[in-house]
Amino acid sequence: MRWNKAQRLRAGYLVLLGAVAVGQITPQPAVPTPQAPQNATPVPTHAPALLIMIDPAHGGTDSGAALNAAFPEKDVTLVLARRLRRELLIRGIQSQLMRDADLMLSSDQRASQVNALQPFFYLVIHATSQGSGLRLFTAMLPLGEDNRGSFVDWPTAQAASLARSRLVQEQITGSIHSTGFPVRGFTAPLRPLNNVIVPAMAVEVAPTTGDISQLASSDYQQMVCAVLANGIASAMPLLTRAGRGQ
Amino acid sequence: MIPRTLVVTTALLFAVAIGMGIYVAQLRRRADIASPRTLQAEHVRPPAAGPAENVTVWVAHDDDGRLHAQSLTVPLSSERQPRADDLLRALLNIYQSKDSAHRLGAGAEIREVYLVDPGLAVIDLNAAFADGQISGILAEELTLVSIVQTLSNNIPGITRVKFLVDGKERDTLAGHADLSGFYAVSSISTLAKQLSEE
Repeated sequence: MRWNKAQRLRAGYLVLLGAVAVGQITPQPAVPTPQAPQNATPVPTHAPALLIMIDPAHGGTDSGAALNAAFPEKDVTLVLARRLRRELLIRGIQSQLMRDADLMLSSDQRASQVNALQPFFYLVIHATSQGSGLRLFTAMLPLGEDNRGSFVDWPTAQAASLARSRLVQEQITGSIHSTGFPVRGFTAPLRPLNNVIVPAMAVEVAPTTGDISQLASSDYQQMVCAVLANGIASAMPLLTRAGRGQ
Repeated sequence: MIPRTLVVTTALLFAVAIGMGIYVAQLRRRADIASPRTLQAEHVRPPAAGPAENVTVWVAHDDDGRLHAQSLTVPLSSERQPRADDLLRALLNIYQSKDSAHRLGAGAEIREVYLVDPGLAVIDLNAAFADGQISGILAEELTLVSIVQTLSNNIPGITRVKFLVDGKERDTLAGHADLSGFYAVSSISTLAKQLSEE
């Protein structure tokens, strides 16, 4: 049967409509695949050897805790992250910041960047007015689905690296504790720790004097970053011995 | 030149799409009108009429960042659901006292506790609770662990806990502690031990 021009056009139009309809109803993948951040610092596709990813928590419209009117948590974490990067470099450890400006990144975007880059260690920095010294947290995983082969359950993606994360946490806690600086270690239900596939830890920095303004003091920031960098340096053999992806 | 049939088909499809849009908008408006108004969350139920019992509640202390077990004698119902309400009301009373060691926001309430078998407790906080919570990883987890540990240690059979705020899912309590998932009571118990250690 030969179709005339009008019939061919009608058929083509129907095929086009069908394709559009199928595209509309195609289900989304079960595992969330967050969009790449619009303004994020470009991240290379392959991590240099022994790279540590430092993530200053919050940013952009997410100010975090209001430590005081002039100094929101997002600014404190950025300053601390920059200082820590410098301290690590002095100790011969390469690191990269998740954000090096006042940028808004969601937890999913942060986890996606870490999982794509696969550094040896992921450290997210928080700050608070409550308590004293440093608190180090590893993930407290929620109840989730089993990981099946290469398909990893997003809420419990940290599961495979959790034991190593805790070893590193213990090592860093011990190292800082030996200096006399107040430090405690816990688990925490905190994202994006749960969604990161590499060893991961959060640090919460509090003043030791109960005075919030101490967090803005460059001397205190320097001291915190120095003890933290020493702790990380002492844990590097744990990170390198087991190797990536184990 | 565009065939007339194509123009007619396109026009028809547009008309159907616009018609469907209007219909959906009407359905949504009717559903909004029919839905019940949100009730103000207040503890209007009278205190428990059951016998006074000695229970242990876990109380957060901001000064040392620790969880302290505290004995309390309160009247408690023998039934699970009202017993859960009574327990958490007693805990909130501690936090809302003048010399509270862990501040909660003004008007903070636990709207409801639902015990859903098998082993699931759903705890619905009000917005004032979450909005008035001091922001910080440890500060927020002290609050959550205090509630879960108090509930699960005094009501057997609870294995999982889910938090809601004003009846809805919320990402975090106050910017840190994740509320999107279900907490395993076993993990919370381990964390409670860590938080209680000197």
